[in-house]
Amino acid sequence: MHADAQSLAGEPVDARAPETPYPTARPYMHPYLAGFGLGLVLLAAFVIMGRGLGASGAFSSLVAVGADAIAPAHARANGFYAEYLGDGTSNPLMDWLVFEVLGVFAGGFLSGILAGRIRTGVERGPSISKGMRLFYAFVGGGLMGIGAKLARGCTSGQALTGGAMLNVGSWAFMMCVFAGAYATAYFIRRQWQ
Amino acid sequence: MKRVLANLKPTFRAGLLVGVLGLIAAFAGSPYQGSQFTIDAQELARVVETTTDHVTPEELADWIIQGRADYRLIDLRTAQEYGEYHIPGAENFGLTALPDAGLQKSEKIVLYSEGGIHAAQAWFLLKAKGYSGVYMLFGGLDGWKDDVLFPSLAANPTPAQTVQFGKMKEVSKFFGGAPRSGGTDSAQTPSYALPKVEMPQSVEASPASTPKKKKKEGC
Amino acid sequence: MNAPFYKFGLFGDNMSLIVAFFIGIGFGFFLERAGFGNARKLAAQFYFKDLTVFKVMFTAIITAMLGLFYLSWMGLVDLSLVYLTPTYLLPQIAGGIILGVGFVVGGYCPGTSCVAVSTGKLDGVMYLLGVIAGIVVFGELYPFLGGFYTATPMGQITLPQLLNVPYGLVVFLVSLMAVGGFAGATWVEKRMASRKGVQPS
Repeated sequence: MHADAQSLAGEPVDARAPETPYPTARPYMHPYLAGFGLGLVLLAAFVIMGRGLGASGAFSSLVAVGADAIAPAHARANGFYAEYLGDGTSNPLMDWLVFEVLGVFAGGFLSGILAGRIRTGVERGPSISKGMRLFYAFVGGGLMGIGAKLARGCTSGQALTGGAMLNVGSWAFMMCVFAGAYATAYFIRRQWQ
Repeated sequence: MKRVLANLKPTFRAGLLVGVLGLIAAFAGSPYQGSQFTIDAQELARVVETTTDHVTPEELADWIIQGRADYRLIDLRTAQEYGEYHIPGAENFGLTALPDAGLQKSEKIVLYSEGGIHAAQAWFLLKAKGYSGVYMLFGGLDGWKDDVLFPSLAANPTPAQTVQFGKMKEVSKFFGGAPRSGGTDSAQTPSYALPKVEMPQSVEASPASTPKKKKKEGC
Repeated sequence: MNAPFYKFGLFGDNMSLIVAFFIGIGFGFFLERAGFGNARKLAAQFYFKDLTVFKVMFTAIITAMLGLFYLSWMGLVDLSLVYLTPTYLLPQIAGGIILGVGFVVGGYCPGTSCVAVSTGKLDGVMYLLGVIAGIVVFGELYPFLGGFYTATPMGQITLPQLLNVPYGLVVFLVSLMAVGGFAGATWVEKRMASRKGVQPS
């Protein structure tokens, strides 16, 4: 397994050369190699912690704490917030996912700086204004927040983790993510192409 | 064969490897451990010898008084016996019903029966299945009665024993028992009435049978 | 070996947070390496131009799936102790569709947006603010959504249990599907590239 993974790295990376090249300093890792690395991180989470990866859960904790700070009675009465606030014996932010997501920020920065890919800007297609792209990003994020909570997890928590564990709900979820995205892609193609 | 493999692109080789690993998996059998457990006899013997598998009645009494919720207390006797009296916070599961008790392999489990034989059998069963935190109540329910509910002072007590007895008198009252007056012949069978099965007042807020579930583990 | 280590009490809650941070670093590192800090690369998946998302995701899934299967099979990991999110079919289908729409509109998913933020993407910042707003909306609507949120509960269930077939067989089928999918994805990418008049390599 290891030898194969090594030789994968020797392959030409991103040989597709699209007409508008991605504004990157160094080419990205080969998809299979990056996936293999990601899979090993997920496996490590299984073996060490007995749980998978996640992302949206950390932001739920953040929202719950925010709601608790602004309107404690309101937050405690809400079953959704209450679940993230716990029984009051521990700080809701001293949470596994919160620390994991802090690590994601750090890991992304580390990889970005090593590859010279840190630069401020807005990722957008050639025919959309910055303002519109930021608006779309906000709306998309909002939908993602709602969808992730309804589905009890996002791409990391459900599709990746549940996918590897052959979780029924995760596989149904994953199919629907691709279905929803492909069905919508045509209507907002101006944003990207 | 080797030459053919060497000529394949690395991605194809990786794909082939995945296919082969998958194929072996299809015939490998169940990945769940429940079906194929093993006993490490030496380890078990060591545990028994050093009595690290025991929780004394005094320790258990302390846990209950402190309202600790990090363990499960299992009463292995019949439902009728359980109905008459059980240690506060205990759940009733017979030996055969133990698999349905929903025990976690990592949690602390304290077993007790009347004397200790059934508890010892259940201890071996669980230990063999890979439960790591299984303990027996030392002396069983009999030990609980002697040491916690109806403690007595030895005939010629040392100062340390007297202090201990003073402490146990309080504990005994907490559980609705009655300390036997000092100096009584310990061979005499106690004819004290067993207390009611209700949880003592002060710990009712956090029953030991429902360990508090922390925040959810999912995303 | 007693794994999962945490569930066997090999370390406590405080240590688990440190572990969380390091696992997160690995997660974020490979997300960025794969190019997932870039919304255009992610969105290209849905126009069949660049199927990196599919390839990375399924490579990760089969790596972890095969690893978990064999470690459990050898008795090194107790599979029953690895947390499985309970299935609630209808809300997960609805959530999946909404999330898919959000993916292509916003260009990220929550994990990748963190990487986008730490590599300086302003759209990533807006996206994360959107996620937080979305969670607030969900939280406020929760009292009304509660019924649907817990509809069609199926418990903690895996595909092998649902289909009543050996676990390993599903592992095999998923592996086959993934490898077949990779071949198909590569073919699609080449076709799309040649259609635009660029020579595939």
